[in-house]
Order: sequence, then structure tokens, then C-alpha cells
Amino acid sequence: MGIIELDGLEVRLGNRTVLDGLTGELRGRSIGLLGPNGAGKSTLINTLLGFYQASKGSASVFGLDSYRDRAQIRGSIGYMPENDSFIGNMSGVHLVRYMAELAGLPSRQALERAHEALFYVGLGEVRYRKVNSYSLGMKQLIKLAQALAHGPKLLILDEPTNGLDPIARQRMIQLIKEIRKEGTVHILISSHLLRDIDETCDEVLILKRGRIAELCNIEAERRSNRSFMELETVGATERFSTSVRSLGCECASFPGGRIKLVIPDHIEARDLYVIAANQGVQIRRMNQRRDSLEDIFLRAMDMEPGRPANVSL
Amino acid sequence: MSVYKHDYRAYTGKVTSAWTRILVVARYGFAEAWSSKITVGLFILCFVPPLLALFGIYLANNPLARALMGNKGPQAVEIDASFFLGVLQVQSWLALVLASWIAPRLITFDLADNAFPILLSHPISRFGYVFGKYIVLFAMLSVVTWVPGLLLFVYQGYSSPQPWAAANLQIAGGLFAGSLIWIALISILGLALSSWVKWRGVATAIIFAAVFVPAGMGAIVSGVLRTKYGFLLNLPFMMSLLWQRLLGVHTSVFSRISLANEAIAVMLVLVCLLCVAMLNARIRAREVVRG
Repeated sequence: MGIIELDGLEVRLGNRTVLDGLTGELRGRSIGLLGPNGAGKSTLINTLLGFYQASKGSASVFGLDSYRDRAQIRGSIGYMPENDSFIGNMSGVHLVRYMAELAGLPSRQALERAHEALFYVGLGEVRYRKVNSYSLGMKQLIKLAQALAHGPKLLILDEPTNGLDPIARQRMIQLIKEIRKEGTVHILISSHLLRDIDETCDEVLILKRGRIAELCNIEAERRSNRSFMELETVGATERFSTSVRSLGCECASFPGGRIKLVIPDHIEARDLYVIAANQGVQIRRMNQRRDSLEDIFLRAMDMEPGRPANVSL
Repeated sequence: MSVYKHDYRAYTGKVTSAWTRILVVARYGFAEAWSSKITVGLFILCFVPPLLALFGIYLANNPLARALMGNKGPQAVEIDASFFLGVLQVQSWLALVLASWIAPRLITFDLADNAFPILLSHPISRFGYVFGKYIVLFAMLSVVTWVPGLLLFVYQGYSSPQPWAAANLQIAGGLFAGSLIWIALISILGLALSSWVKWRGVATAIIFAAVFVPAGMGAIVSGVLRTKYGFLLNLPFMMSLLWQRLLGVHTSVFSRISLANEAIAVMLVLVCLLCVAMLNARIRAREVVRG
């Protein structure tokens, strides 16, 4: 059974369909949620937390319906929201204890875990200071501490490195890696920073305009010996791309004549030169490289809107 | 996870039952309310009138004490329904002052720092959250309204040479019911209005305004349209009328303008429903997107 299962999930807010027929199963230890602004990442997280009700289909977490069983699900989830969210006039330890008690820990254990969580994220020395006196980085860390204190089975981190300087970002990434390594908690990280996802996740779900553009295991994608090529061209790039696609290549075009290709085994570089020569296109540069998360993302972003949204592993 | 090891460790201990989370909200709410010295000051102030009333009851029932005070005549104060109506009215308006101070403290701190996403991502419902806060307000207002009122009633029953309490049970019932209606109303009103304002001072002012501004508007409506139903916007008037009827007091002031009990009840229910709608719109982990 997957950690998160989506079955034709549609979420409408007002008259707008924000999530449109999402189907898939997320099984990874650490799952990245990628997509441009407005793709529906935060809406999906809010739906999983039971804040929004599906207008069609369903979403389930640990086999429980995300809306009907939301109280039960929330007990096993730690959520770190994207924006500032805290009670400023409480001390750090007071806030984390409060959240742990709300999650169901008895008062004494909640206090103990609050101290531990604050030390764990590196706020041990400032835990008696009021939260509104914390720096931006500290506020991110206390959001993580309150999400961790009750020992959740699933940790949902919405843009965890937002607004952090490089050192604080590295510290946050390191923490996420440590939590993943510990092995008892699954992590869902929403971010628009590919590097964050690349460093911390083993599975990625890419959303585009409320649909699943890609759902894949990053490691498996990397291991597959697909041949990637980057071209810089001058001339009728679009027509060239279309011809290359007809050879069976996956192709993404970018401004400035840049083209990224996934070449099947039976195609060689010479075939590309032949097409270019026939169409009067100049190939100024040709690089062969391994697949990266960026490639997966860019390919997903270039996907035709008509392509089926149902993508499975 | 432990302080000295700095490693993450999952929690495997026991978990409290779902309904106790409401009490967690209430407990932290009490802590927040009492963290202000002004709350303590207001609370002490709320006990001054009951102490004076207690002294009055003592004097009324003790001729020797009256004599020592230099009063040779009959009872200085008559302890009847009017006396307890006075106590109820004074305590109720003091309760409004207390509510207008405490209610914003319970909600606006959460609102100002956008705490709802983390609060409501825990296994507590929006109803549970509001109910937890409501318990705080209701309990604190109870301590300054019907609790001292009933204690005074008991003391009068004990001090009176005649069997007074049994003959005046309506006063006790009226005190209790009148106080409950009032504190239930101002508690939900205070929370609803506080949930729409991020600044505590402004929230306090708005709670007072919500009680007294419609009263003025009601008077204008009554004057212009020559109808008594404008007084349905006048919460102080409506409550005074209700308290009188509950305690069985008849005064000439209110005999000229009378509102049906049903009309008052409908108005109070409408105010409560409006407050529930306001809370429903504001106490959310996420803004509702329309359009």
C-alpha cells in the first residue's frame, strides 16, 4: 500500500478546478512535490490534511480517506506550512509543547519532546525566547520542531527552505536527510527548488496546471540508461523538433534554439545532423549528458496538455 | 530523540483521547488570559460589588449591626428581587468589560501570527478550537456573574430570620438563567468579533461598539418609524427586560415599552447565529477562495 493514494482527485475552489483528476500512488520514503507557481502543490497538501474536500475522486493517506478520516490522519502527520505560522507571544518551548499536546501527547511527555525537538533542530539555546523575536531562519526551524515533536509517521514540509540563507538552507536539508535516514518517518516536501528535492527525495511528483505531469522514482530514472542530449541550434527549431520527435525522440525546446532530447537506442547523432541539414538548421553545440531532476522537470513542463494525467510507476 | 544524542526518535508512548484536546486549548487559553495583570485587576474589580452586596445583606439581616452603624430604623436595605436584579445588572456589565478584555487575548494572538494552519493541522477540529476558547470565557464570566449571585442568594437564605429562600426560588432561577444567557451571548460575541480583528485594542473597542452602537441605531429606528421593535437592536434594553421578567421584578421604567419574550429570544438566537457564521468564516487553516 502506498503512503498517499490519489484516485481521480479533483478539487475545486470556487469556480476554479485547482486539482484535476489526479491519480497515482506515492510510496517513497521521501517524496518531492514539484511544480510551477499555481500548479496545485499547496492545494494537494491542504487536501491531504483534510482542509479541502475533493469535489470528485479521493485522496487517502495511510489508507485513510483524507477528508472523512482527517482527525485520525492529522494525528500521524507533522505539517510545516509555507508561510509564517506560529503564536508569537509564546516561548519556543511553550509553542512546541502546545502543538505536541494538541497532537495527543500527555502534558509531561509533550514538554519533554518539545525540549528534545528544539535541541534537535538547533534551537535549544533560544527555546525560552518568545517566537516573535526569532529570525526568519529560526521561525522556519520552530515550524519544523512543532511538526516533529509528536513523532509523526508522515512529515509534510511546504517550501522548507523558503527565505533561508545558504548556511541555514544547508542545515535544513541536512536535518531532512537525517530524518529520512532514521527510517520511521515518510517525508513529503513541496518546493519549487529542484536542488532541494534532488538532495532530499527519492520519488518526485510533478504537477502542472493541477494535473500530474510526472510521477517517478528519481533513482530509477537516473539508473535507466537513457541517452540525453542537449543541442544549441540556429534556424527553424520548431520544425526540427517536430521531425526529431517523429524519429521517436522525446524532445523539449527552449528559447534561444536550445533543445533537450532523449534518444532511443536505435538513433544516432548522425540522424540528427541529417535532419538538420535537410531543414537548413545549424547545430552549433551538442552535449550528451545523464538525466537529472531538472531534465525530468523540464520534460514534464513541456508535456502537451492533452496527454493523459494518469501516470504511474 | 534525546537532548544529549540529538537524534530523531519516533514517539511510541500513549496518546490522549480526542476530546481532551479541547481541554488543552482551554488550558492554554486560561494561561494566556491570566498572563495579563489587567485580567487580574479586572477580576478583582468584579468582586467588589458582590462584597458590597454581601455587606448589605448582612446589615439587612442583623439589627445589632445596623444599630452599631447608627441606623435605628427599620431595615436599611430591602433584600428582594430588585436587590438581586441590581446585583445581576452590575455583574453582567462588569462581565462585558472582562469579556471584551479576555476574548481578544484568546483569539488575536493566533490570528496575528497566522497560527491556524499549524493549530488546525493537528487532530483538533475548528469547532473544538472555538469550543476550547469558549470554555475559558464562559468559565471566567461564570465566576463573576451567577456564582457570586447564587452565593449571595444562599447567604440571604441563611441569614434571613424567616424562611426566605424557599419563598424566593424564582430569584435564584432568574439569576442563574439570566446570567447564563448573558455570558453565553457575550462569550460567543467576543470570540466572533475578535476573530475578525488582529489588534487586541481594536477588538476590545469593537466588542463594546457591537453592544452599544446598535442600541443607538435601534432608538433612531424606533423614533423614525414609531415602532417599539427598534429596541430589538438595543441589547442592554432587551437584556434588562429579560432579567426583570426572569427575576419577577416590575418597574415603571420598562412598563411603557414592552417586547415579547419570543421576539427577544429570536433576536438573541439571530445574534448567536451571526456570530457562528463569523467564526465559521474566519477560523480556518486556509482562506476560502471564491470566483
